[in-house]
Amino acid sequence: MNSFKKKRKAAQRKWDLLKTSKVPVIYLGTASCGRAAGAMEVLTSVQKTLKQNRLKAKIVQVGCIGPCYLEPLMDITLPGRPRISYANVNPEKAKRIVESYLKKDDPLLQLAVGHFGDENTKFTDGIPKFFDLPMLKPQVRVVLRNCGFIDPEEIDHYLANEGYSGIMNAFGKKPEEIIAEVKEAGLRGRGGAGFPTYKKWEICRSSPGKEKYMICNADEGDPGAFMNRSLIEGDPHSVLEGLLIAAYAIGASHGYIYIRAEYPLAIARLKKAITQMKDYGFLGKNIGNSGFDFDITIKEGAGAFVCGEETALIASIEGKRGMPKSRPPFPAVSGLFGMPTIINNVETLGTLPNILRNGASWYKQFGTQGNHGTKTFSLVGKVRRSGLIEVPLGMTLRKIIFDIGGGSRKPFKAVQTGGPSGGCLSEEFLDTPVDYESLDAAGSIMGSGGLIVMDEDTCVVDVAHYFLDFTQKESCGKCSPCRVGSRHMVEILERIIKGHGQPEDLTKLQTLGETVKRGSLCGLGQTAPNPVLTTLRYFRPEYLLHVTEKHCPASVCRELIEYRVIPEKCTGCQRCVSVCPTGAITGPRAEPHNLDPSKCIKCRACYEICRFDAIAGDAIIIRSKRRASDEQTK
Amino acid sequence: MSKQSKKVTINIDNQVLEVERGLTILQAAEQNNIYIPTLCAHKDLTPFGGCRMCIVEVEGMRGLPTACTTPVVEGMVIRTHTAQVQAERKEILQLILSEHTSSCLICEEKDECKDYMGTIRKAGVITGCRFCPNDGQCELQEVVEKLGIKEISYPIYYRHLPVEKDDPFYDRDYNLCILCGRCIRMCQEIRAANTLAFKQRGRYTVIGPAYSRTHFEAGCEFCGACVSVCPTGALSEKVRKWEGKAEREEITTCPLCGVGCQMRLQVKGGRIIGSLPAEDPLVNNGQLCVKGRFCVTELVGNYQRLRRPYKTQNDTKVAISWDEAIQLAAEKLSTCSGEDFGMLISPNCCNEDLYLAQKFARIAVGSHNIDTTARPFYGSGFNAYLDLMRMCVPLSELRDASVILCVGLDARFGRSVVGVELRKAISRGAKIISINPRHHSLSVIADKWIQPVPGTEVSLFRSLVKLTEKKKTGTTPPKSKGKSGSLGDELATVAKMLKGASAPMILVGSEFLQYDQSPQILEAIEKLARNVGAGILPLPAYNNLFGSILMGAYPELLPGGFSSANKKRIDDLRKKWNADVPHLPSRLNRKILSSGRKLKVLYLIGKVPPNLRPPCDFLISQNIYPPDPWHEADLVLPAAAFTEVDGTFINGEGRIQRVRKAVNPPGEALPDWEILCQIAQKMEKKGFNFSNVREIHEDISSLVKGFGDFDGTKRKAGPLICEGRLTIPQTKSKGTKKADKRFPLLLNTSVVEHTYRGFPLTTWVEGARKLFAEGIVDINSEDARKAKISEGDEVVVTSAHFEKIWPARISSEQSQGTLHITLRQGESVGPNPHPVRIRKKDV
Repeated sequence: MNSFKKKRKAAQRKWDLLKTSKVPVIYLGTASCGRAAGAMEVLTSVQKTLKQNRLKAKIVQVGCIGPCYLEPLMDITLPGRPRISYANVNPEKAKRIVESYLKKDDPLLQLAVGHFGDENTKFTDGIPKFFDLPMLKPQVRVVLRNCGFIDPEEIDHYLANEGYSGIMNAFGKKPEEIIAEVKEAGLRGRGGAGFPTYKKWEICRSSPGKEKYMICNADEGDPGAFMNRSLIEGDPHSVLEGLLIAAYAIGASHGYIYIRAEYPLAIARLKKAITQMKDYGFLGKNIGNSGFDFDITIKEGAGAFVCGEETALIASIEGKRGMPKSRPPFPAVSGLFGMPTIINNVETLGTLPNILRNGASWYKQFGTQGNHGTKTFSLVGKVRRSGLIEVPLGMTLRKIIFDIGGGSRKPFKAVQTGGPSGGCLSEEFLDTPVDYESLDAAGSIMGSGGLIVMDEDTCVVDVAHYFLDFTQKESCGKCSPCRVGSRHMVEILERIIKGHGQPEDLTKLQTLGETVKRGSLCGLGQTAPNPVLTTLRYFRPEYLLHVTEKHCPASVCRELIEYRVIPEKCTGCQRCVSVCPTGAITGPRAEPHNLDPSKCIKCRACYEICRFDAIAGDAIIIRSKRRASDEQTK
Repeated sequence: MSKQSKKVTINIDNQVLEVERGLTILQAAEQNNIYIPTLCAHKDLTPFGGCRMCIVEVEGMRGLPTACTTPVVEGMVIRTHTAQVQAERKEILQLILSEHTSSCLICEEKDECKDYMGTIRKAGVITGCRFCPNDGQCELQEVVEKLGIKEISYPIYYRHLPVEKDDPFYDRDYNLCILCGRCIRMCQEIRAANTLAFKQRGRYTVIGPAYSRTHFEAGCEFCGACVSVCPTGALSEKVRKWEGKAEREEITTCPLCGVGCQMRLQVKGGRIIGSLPAEDPLVNNGQLCVKGRFCVTELVGNYQRLRRPYKTQNDTKVAISWDEAIQLAAEKLSTCSGEDFGMLISPNCCNEDLYLAQKFARIAVGSHNIDTTARPFYGSGFNAYLDLMRMCVPLSELRDASVILCVGLDARFGRSVVGVELRKAISRGAKIISINPRHHSLSVIADKWIQPVPGTEVSLFRSLVKLTEKKKTGTTPPKSKGKSGSLGDELATVAKMLKGASAPMILVGSEFLQYDQSPQILEAIEKLARNVGAGILPLPAYNNLFGSILMGAYPELLPGGFSSANKKRIDDLRKKWNADVPHLPSRLNRKILSSGRKLKVLYLIGKVPPNLRPPCDFLISQNIYPPDPWHEADLVLPAAAFTEVDGTFINGEGRIQRVRKAVNPPGEALPDWEILCQIAQKMEKKGFNFSNVREIHEDISSLVKGFGDFDGTKRKAGPLICEGRLTIPQTKSKGTKKADKRFPLLLNTSVVEHTYRGFPLTTWVEGARKLFAEGIVDINSEDARKAKISEGDEVVVTSAHFEKIWPARISSEQSQGTLHITLRQGESVGPNPHPVRIRKKDV
């Protein structure tokens, strides 16, 4: 314990040094999301600028703070001044800001989006507090509290921010007391099903086994979901601390982190964090003099979606084919290598240190009865402010989508919760509180936390087809309803999208969907039909339009639409001619162009360029084939 | 927990049942004759839960759990046939059928169809209307019938997978596969061979060896266990494909090696159409190797079987009646003195035949000149081998062994049943040590694989003996001569493992038996076993080697394993048989075939002489297939194969096991004992008045201890009890042959091990030719590169004594500087190992 305190003190000094730094500190969000937006180029530019101008500054690479639409984010703190955040920086912009602020003491506040100071001072005049931005204001940051603030590769930063005090508190308790604390906090599995975490732990703790295993499920495979990746990249130690706490509670001696190989940065940071933990004595024998021995192995998944399913994940770690098994026996009784095993999601584990540090009653202040705490979501799709968010459970979809996300540009149509296993909810469900039971009642699921917003440009049949095609391809092939049933469903949907649908196809989809849902072995098959079943339920008219009228109202389904040039509007600017990959559009400059439908592959390039780049704009339209032919016959 | 009773009360379909705790719902239902449809469940395999046919309703459980995976719990209320469950099953079955060519299942004309099929089925086509090899035995058909599916409301997906027909013995048409995973579980769980696995995912999921290897490359043992459990026609035995369902089956003992597996012969229309493993906890545990599973049908069912006796007259074959044949044989034998007579019998024959043969030789002809064909196989090491047999323990002791030493054992094709036991031992935590110069089935799985350099085997085994001696001499472990010295550390580890083991076990295969120094090697193995207190089990290549010794089918041995030099024993025998038995002549004709003396009558039972006609005036050949024409046999007698006779075999563990007649012999063929009795009776000799095998068996039991269990109920294992010894002329030890500049490579030879009644299986079984490479020389890839030899090239192998041309097989697994060849029947190249050089044959 003493050595821990010493280490914490040293860490605190290091952290304070950063906070009271004599030289400017530049924070750069260089997690995968930032890198995708060009953060590494910004980093090089900043380094170059500093060198050229012989400026002294400290650069700290931090994780993702949340608002993806503002990436890359660069923050600058000058000694004694609040940290100011600049959004959507690029190398040139970064150079300008750094030179201006560090050399001329002009923070270029017109380029800043917010500051992290307590109140507005003369240095931050006119810009809001970062956390007062509409996207961030309604959020509560519990799991993500360190993301964007600390250097994820520095264990000292984590320690200085009360890191590892959760496990130290835990060591002061009996495992049973920890389980009771988690029970009291009302924590439910954040992986999707919302099973009470303590219940699993209790079963595992009381199951006899020569050895017990604790597994962290970081196989985040849902398209459009990145909560777990961001957490690991931004604050890996919080997840590892959670893993330690859980392992101590259930009496496990070995831990595994099952993580997708597609997350190289997260894996690298985890590996680094594990080495640091070993150096600091948080792993190995007799951790913190508690008599508790623990070690962690990282197991990289090979890219099968089904390996996120508990039993398939276990098989994969065992070196077998990732294929689910029937339950019972549940992994908590007989899991990895036949021993009692607990698998918790990254976010569940990331929550644990907070509960152990602050107590169950503190945690219970967030959320609603039966759905305590916070939940992270990746808010994506047709929404103005996309990104990683954390909200208390029970917040309505409306508040999340419209207050945090800023709504969609075009009229809102639907939201898909829970990734490919979830459901597609229409506008009438916007006031549904986001909690496990309410989403379930609406025919969807919480899932691991993907929120995909769709506007009227999205075709729900196309979306349902997309998700089902994904799960169908990722089916392990073991059980027949999932392997064959979902394949038939995809083919029916393909028929509908191509305009060959029959009215009875909808009934067939419905019954088949229910068979697959009831008859499948594992969660993948049991939830695969959800996108289809919910869209059928809430958007039946749109299906009917596809089937009876051969009309796609969102103008998405290629076979049902055609592109036209409206001669009256076209100025002949030739922008569309230059982007058309098949040479379907022809015509001399300054004369209305001609579009040959037989050559058109409906790639949408001309449509986009006409909207945003052409002289006249809106001269190219997409319209329903069927309706067009109707008009002609008239 | 302990207070909980072993029974639970459950309710299935309103029947209150008391069943054992730990059963699944499916098992409980099956025990109580409640039908739940299943496709992927199999009694020997772990539950899978893939086909979803066995879904049931359970009160208090979410959804529809599968009966095959859900264990029963006290008070469980289960409904197996509610409307919802049935509807769901039908829906799922339709989904399964939409991936399966299903005209045979739901065609309206299916019953009439058969009547109009006047033609012979096309053997090449295995999918399509009524052309499924599994027609009539298909479990899918059964379930479709039971659930009353009449049509499929989904489009059919034909997967267009090519039918895999290149491997021997069984074909695979995965277009018929329903992915129930039984074959995979069989291969992984029961056989522990791990050849098969699921590949790909989603709609592309298929079954096969991983990484697109062929079955042969992936280590498939061709045991056919997967074929046996396939519920559809996806896997089918080539030979049996169009035979349909068997009418009956007969349990018998496999005659293809000394393991003595119990098998179920499949009989239809008076023919053997297949052989399947029998559930037998003592020996093979419901498993067979490729020989027992696939070779038997072709071996005994070939159209070239001998059907009637014939004699050779003026160089032409003349068919004769049995009377004439017996008369001719009796005439020739009556005028033949004991010294001028020779008889060779195959140890593949039943005990009763072997006994009768030696009785025939000893009292009908008055000669001790009877021998078996095992003698040339074991060569100078035969006595040492018998010593090992005198120590043998049952195979089941493998289950308690913590360390198992396998000497020269390859368990891939032959004896793969032992391989299964070894892999199971590994999964229990036992350590396997294998000593074998060549890459073999244990190379990968053994904890230690010692690969002796040819010629250094004796010193290697002697070092092991030294290292395991109880009293330490205090000196450092002897550095053995030759290259095995470099193995010193390895050997020390092996010795340590063996010494520290609880109930270690030594299995002896065939690899070192044909070496010039086999007596010394076998003696060392015996000493090693004594040093470490290991149980030893030699696994003879001949199924009834044990019996041939106990029956006294050797000049030096009398029934009961007594020495024929013992005059008292001869006197006893005279009394027992009430006939004159000659004393052993001082100069025994030990090598019946090549004594350099011309015999008057040579009587061969299940012996195929190599090359030319052996020197004799009158040659009788009694076998199941005609002898080679160049033997110019004077009298050929058609014998019955093991599927056509009653009798007993004794396996390598000393178990007396029953052979049962399943079908009649072809044509006029007769069992060996009956032919012998008839000839003896014609010669007016007494003591051959047997009307069935049981009487012979009783005759034996008065002479041999432990006999009398004709029905094979006891099947007790026990070591060989044999007083007598074989006299083996001391061959001059030529010393270890070393490679030199002129002959830089060492050639190891083995002889054909997989034989039946003198014929290599490759003669009569097509698939065996692909597996047992005979007459092909294995060359290390590096050696081959140097000599510019590539796969399949004709290679000239030259030594100081011979020059031979063989096709080459290149492998990196053959160790550098050595060659290996399994010689064809009748081929011989002299010393073993043999220094040679190689070159590519000029075109």
